[in-house]
Amino acid sequence: MLSGFLTVEAGTINVKQIYRFYCAQCHGTEGRGDGINDRPEMPVSPRDHTSRAEMSKLTDEEILDVINNGGEATGKSTVMPAFGKTLKVEEVEALKAYLRELCDC
Amino acid sequence: MRLTYLNISFLISLLATVLFFSSPVLAGGGEAFFNKKGCLECHRVTGGPDETTIEAVLEKKGPELWYAGSKFRPGFIARWLTDPKPIRPMAYYSLTEKNKGDHVRLVPAEALEIAAYLMTLKSATVKPSGIRPHMNIKGKKVFGKEFSCYACHKIKNRKKVLGGLSGPSLVGTRARLNPDWIYAYLTNPRAFRPVMDMPVFAGLVSPKKISHLAEYVSSLE
Ligand code: HEC
Ligand code: HEC
Ligand code: HEC
Repeated sequence: MLSGFLTVEAGTINVKQIYRFYCAQCHGTEGRGDGINDRPEMPVSPRDHTSRAEMSKLTDEEILDVINNGGEATGKSTVMPAFGKTLKVEEVEALKAYLRELCDC
Repeated sequence: MRLTYLNISFLISLLATVLFFSSPVLAGGGEAFFNKKGCLECHRVTGGPDETTIEAVLEKKGPELWYAGSKFRPGFIARWLTDPKPIRPMAYYSLTEKNKGDHVRLVPAEALEIAAYLMTLKSATVKPSGIRPHMNIKGKKVFGKEFSCYACHKIKNRKKVLGGLSGPSLVGTRARLNPDWIYAYLTNPRAFRPVMDMPVFAGLVSPKKISHLAEYVSSLE
């Protein structure tokens, strides 16, 4: 958790901005899984990143894996896209730390 | 005085109209019009893929048009400018506001002139790729299962319009986007938009699959 803050504050990476730009369209600006793409016709809803119950099931490795390689990496839906070709390694690391803050887990 | 003035201005505008219709590709006409109508305020027509930070992307007020001649199908721009129905469901890059459909509307003569100018703006990245718009079943599978592109894009599925709201609607792509541009954009998105909220899919699957995908997307009615 603390390392999340350090990554955010120490580096030039603005992780909140990155989350808002790439993830909020589905996961919502506050991370509650209620972004504009959360439509009734979707097969699954985006994960509520503030849910400790859901998010604590994932190890750090799994979170990194799912951001880099998409939902399929953890046996979930491909509605969660792969960002490995979009984001830098440090940005994915910072996002993982940020998610840990959001769920406080 | 007043009458004379009106007469003169009437004559001038008549002359202008005659000139306009007799030579629709008057040198620089479309470009001059584009500037005069305030289009530059929201659309970039020079430079290249220059928005390299999130801040720069969020500052844009409208889609970049510096490669419009490579992106759009002939005829689309002029048609759309006379009847600009929303393409992006949301206001430009907004996560909260709907697209109000309040884009500047032009009369046909102006639209044709400006479209002719915009169609001269090309990107060297877009080359003949042999992409043939048709219901490519392999491409449809990539779109629907492998990448779930509908998560952010609307499409028409058996007369029903379905899909997410963050990306431009893909309903009517066949009449709107150049298939070669779609292929170039999917294989090398950073040549157009170095930073954007659509993830990069190039490199996740074989180029062959991307061409199936481009064939399917370019066929969407
Ligand atoms: C196109 C919509 C979309 C976007 C954009 C998106 N996600 Fe997701 N995400 C989903 C959906 C849907 C799920 C749930 C998948 C499921 O339950 O099958 C999910 C699940 C997740 C999970 C949980 C995976 C698991 O195994 O439980 C994490 C972590 C995650 N997303 C992180 C992110 C991050 C970080 C970003 C931004 C870089 C992001 N997502 C962008 C749709 C999206
Ligand atoms: C206030 C900002 C603004 C001004 C001024 C403006 N546009 Fe636009 N333009 C936009 C936005 C935003 C969109 C996206 C609309 C949509 O998706 O429905 C757009 C879309 C377009 C498109 C289609 C682009 C695409 O990717 O589909 C063309 C062509 C275009 N504008 C040309 C013009 C011309 C020509 C003018 C001047 C007469 C003009 N615009 C003036 C904001 C503007
Ligand atoms: C996470 C959301 C998201 C996903 C998933 C997504 N897109 Fe996009 N797409 C966007 C956004 C947002 C834009 C507009 C970007 C911009 O204008 O800067 C876009 C733009 C496009 C365009 C160009 C449209 C235009 O008028 O500029 C095409 C074509 C396209 N996407 C096809 C696809 C295909 C094919 C897939 C699946 C492989 C896909 N998209 C997956 C969000 C997404």
